[in-house]
Amino acid sequence: MIAPSRHMHCRNYAPVDVVKGICHVTKGIVRADDDACPSFDCLPRCAECKRYLPSEEQYIGICSATPDRPMTYPDLVAATCEWFEWRNG
Amino acid sequence: MPRKLTDILAQADARLEYQAMGKPPAEPMPREVVGKPFPRVQRLRDLYYDALSSATNEFPYWYTRTYMRLDNEVPVVRRALALETAFRHLTPTIFPGELLVMGKTHHYRGSFPMPWLSEGYYMAAENQLYQEALARGSASADVVSTFGSGGGNVTKSFGPVVSIAGKFGIRKEEVPAMLRVAHAWEGRSVDDVGHKYEQMVPGYEIKEALMRSVACMFDSGYTLPQGREVVNYYYPLQFGFDELISMAERKKGEVAGHPGGDGLIGMNRLYNYEAASHVLRGVQAWVQNYAEEARRLEAMEGESAQRAEYGETAECLEWIAHRAPRTFREALQLSWTVHVAVLNEDVISGLSPGRLGQILWPWYEQDIAAGRLDEQKALELLECLRVKYTCLDCFASMGVVGGVLSGNTFNNLSIGGLDRNGSPANNRLEELIIKAAMTCASTQPTLTLLYDDKLPESFLLKAMECIKTGTGYPAVVNNRTGIEFLMDQYGPEGMDLEEARAIAIGGCLETSPCSWMPLVLNGRSYWIPGGSGQPTSVGVHFLSLPKILELVLFDGIDQRTGLRVFPPHGGTLASYEDVFDQVKAYFARAVEVLALANNIQHDVWRKNNMAIFNSLLKPDCLESGHLINELGYRYNATHNVETCGTINLINSLAALKSLVYDRGFISIAGLRKALADNFGFKTADEVGSFSLSSQEKRGESTEHDRTHVECLTAPKYGNDNPYVDDILKEWEEWFCAKCREYESLNARPYYACQISVSTHAPMGAVTMATPDGRLAGTTFADASMSAYPGTDRQGPYALFSSATCWDHAQSQNSQLNLKIHPSAIHGRAGTKKLLELTRSYMRKGGFHIQYNVVDSRILKHAQEHPEEYRDLLVRVAGFTQYWVEIGKPIQDEIIARTEYEGVQS
Repeated sequence: MIAPSRHMHCRNYAPVDVVKGICHVTKGIVRADDDACPSFDCLPRCAECKRYLPSEEQYIGICSATPDRPMTYPDLVAATCEWFEWRNG
Repeated sequence: MPRKLTDILAQADARLEYQAMGKPPAEPMPREVVGKPFPRVQRLRDLYYDALSSATNEFPYWYTRTYMRLDNEVPVVRRALALETAFRHLTPTIFPGELLVMGKTHHYRGSFPMPWLSEGYYMAAENQLYQEALARGSASADVVSTFGSGGGNVTKSFGPVVSIAGKFGIRKEEVPAMLRVAHAWEGRSVDDVGHKYEQMVPGYEIKEALMRSVACMFDSGYTLPQGREVVNYYYPLQFGFDELISMAERKKGEVAGHPGGDGLIGMNRLYNYEAASHVLRGVQAWVQNYAEEARRLEAMEGESAQRAEYGETAECLEWIAHRAPRTFREALQLSWTVHVAVLNEDVISGLSPGRLGQILWPWYEQDIAAGRLDEQKALELLECLRVKYTCLDCFASMGVVGGVLSGNTFNNLSIGGLDRNGSPANNRLEELIIKAAMTCASTQPTLTLLYDDKLPESFLLKAMECIKTGTGYPAVVNNRTGIEFLMDQYGPEGMDLEEARAIAIGGCLETSPCSWMPLVLNGRSYWIPGGSGQPTSVGVHFLSLPKILELVLFDGIDQRTGLRVFPPHGGTLASYEDVFDQVKAYFARAVEVLALANNIQHDVWRKNNMAIFNSLLKPDCLESGHLINELGYRYNATHNVETCGTINLINSLAALKSLVYDRGFISIAGLRKALADNFGFKTADEVGSFSLSSQEKRGESTEHDRTHVECLTAPKYGNDNPYVDDILKEWEEWFCAKCREYESLNARPYYACQISVSTHAPMGAVTMATPDGRLAGTTFADASMSAYPGTDRQGPYALFSSATCWDHAQSQNSQLNLKIHPSAIHGRAGTKKLLELTRSYMRKGGFHIQYNVVDSRILKHAQEHPEEYRDLLVRVAGFTQYWVEIGKPIQDEIIARTEYEGVQS
């Protein structure tokens, strides 16, 4: 079963802090971990990238974009990453 | 019912006077002046009130990822490439309603660790790295420091949030990666490498013992290696980033392969320009990413006014990402962008914008004249700037951020002073800056008035009105005394009077060297001031003077931990002179070892972790091709020795002199026993209060009561009493001269620095009872020239006489804080009275004074009901902070400060 998308993974979410943010669509405060609304627009992050490889360790993965294959983590925002490509794009 | 100190004093017909010069009105009185910001700013400030201090791993991740793959690259270029990558990858966030954008991270109140400086302190307590930090003394101050539990501090983990370093919240999803990044720096950070080499200093064990006993509070080399300085916005404002990159590229061609007559570091210029070019490109990309985000929001925004604002923001950013600003708004945005970029380069507190109203005057003046800007719009922008500054957080250890800084970041904006020709430098924009500070009360930027008798009365009265808001700003600093200090300290590096007039305050009140820069805007020429010196508060920080006295009285052994800090002096302390001489001897030994260790830490910092972006902003780095690590700054004699607890030392020496040596009331052995027994009282921790008057007796014994009363009623500083003031004078003259004997890593003399910031709480917490009657664990007197609470009985003018018994120009600063009841300076007449009071201190040669205008009963109520006081601001010691975000020891101390009910002479 696919977990529902959360506000914090939406491009319309401006993170005020680690638990809440402002929704650019509604202008209201939303909680980071609450389920997103139908306006959800997926935020680029490592977990969504085709170059991301999961590892055994929770919250740790590998970036295969560069030859040194460095550690990364699924929630690293990739909006400015030159190597990002949608996994399902 | 345990007996309290007040009971014991009453039995002896003695008391401490916490209210002087009258009685307060029957009912608590709010502050007279209350401002209100523009609605949008109100919303943005409210958002800050609700925002948690949030940490992310984004910047450290990208920095480390690049740095670790660049083995064998020239260190400065390696660091530059890491910084460029990190800036390029910061996620841009813009919040609705913002007119000024960009921040340290994508959170509203965001920050991040920099493990390349130090990594152990933010590990969990059971982590090996943390335990190692504790063992080496660098985490000892963390254990005795506290944060306020209210406001945005994340003092405990909850739900998906993990609390780190006692203040910052980080998402649990980021924690494993954060730890991986931290471990990558194990053995490589400035802390770790510096530690390896500092141990080679002869007598190093004294340094470790000083840190473990918290006789010394922190090492600046790996905690806050930069800051307490004035930034310089000139180059980006005059040339823009494209031109600066071109300059760096041109210079590369000029210097490549040429030592330029300098066989040691001449060749480095090529690498330095290459590094500057990389960092500038990273910062430029960061601005451009924000511009693209603004365009994205513009495209999706449905509401027309907000859509237009996003468009204006995008246009502003697209322009300043490349070129010099054309308008006041662009200049303001660029100055803010540059400020944040410097802060993201290093762990910095006290990065001050300097005389921003004079720096931005050319754009303001021309925009107003051309009708592109009106005062209301300028005011709204200045209020927005206040919110942005207030959102800044500094990620450092609990001991540093909590124990020293009280969560503050010390972005000090100076107003007033003189121009390069010696005429008053104030202008209309500075009046708007004062107004914005009144209508949008917030912690940052704090203001400092560079007081000069030449400044117009109307301008000074506006500053006094602002003080009456109770925010604690502007602090008032003596322009002439500061200039005198600068000429003395930086004269050997070429500073003349004209240059010294560019003075501004860096950090809370560090007198900083600055320079005049020639700016041309639309064909008109101006001279704007900006910072031109290295960080002005690095070096030996902070040395607890009462702890030094404790070590003298107990032959070198710290009474809290049982540690031997100094070798036994073996003296009998047969005379008062013996005591004073031994205090000086231990102090000198401490500074000797600490300065050597500190030089090594800063040297390691500058070898691998040097400032590149901050450097290229400061004259004369771009011209010479040398950065901070190669003394490229115009002024480099900026290391100092910073002390805490001056007045408790002086009062204690006075009590010793009087009771033991002059009157023979008690023997030194008898006094030692009374101190060791804490005069029969419980510890402050047991009582849960850190002010003297709240302390309770442990049992029924009255053994030490009489001694304690005598100690408390012995002559005290702040009453124009030569018996005490002569001791202060002797100490200051010796201390200020002694500091000049130590040599910084820049081969320049150290100088004296006297601001306690918040250290008087944690350092008081670990210090036993002192001969002045202060009890174990209670907070020291704040600042360096403030009286101990309840002991200044003769009014403010007597306090001023005591404070100015020595020459303040011999020290980088001194600090006097005064608490005044709002009724004492009520109305227009009260404002004038406040100015007269201030003027009197300045004319006596006092360096700094600031006021807490507040009814102490309101503070007590706020302590009991913090939920009702989210926006209550108080002045601590050189900075303004939200009441709910400071720890209880400092709260207790501010409540206890003597409250002046009148200020007449």
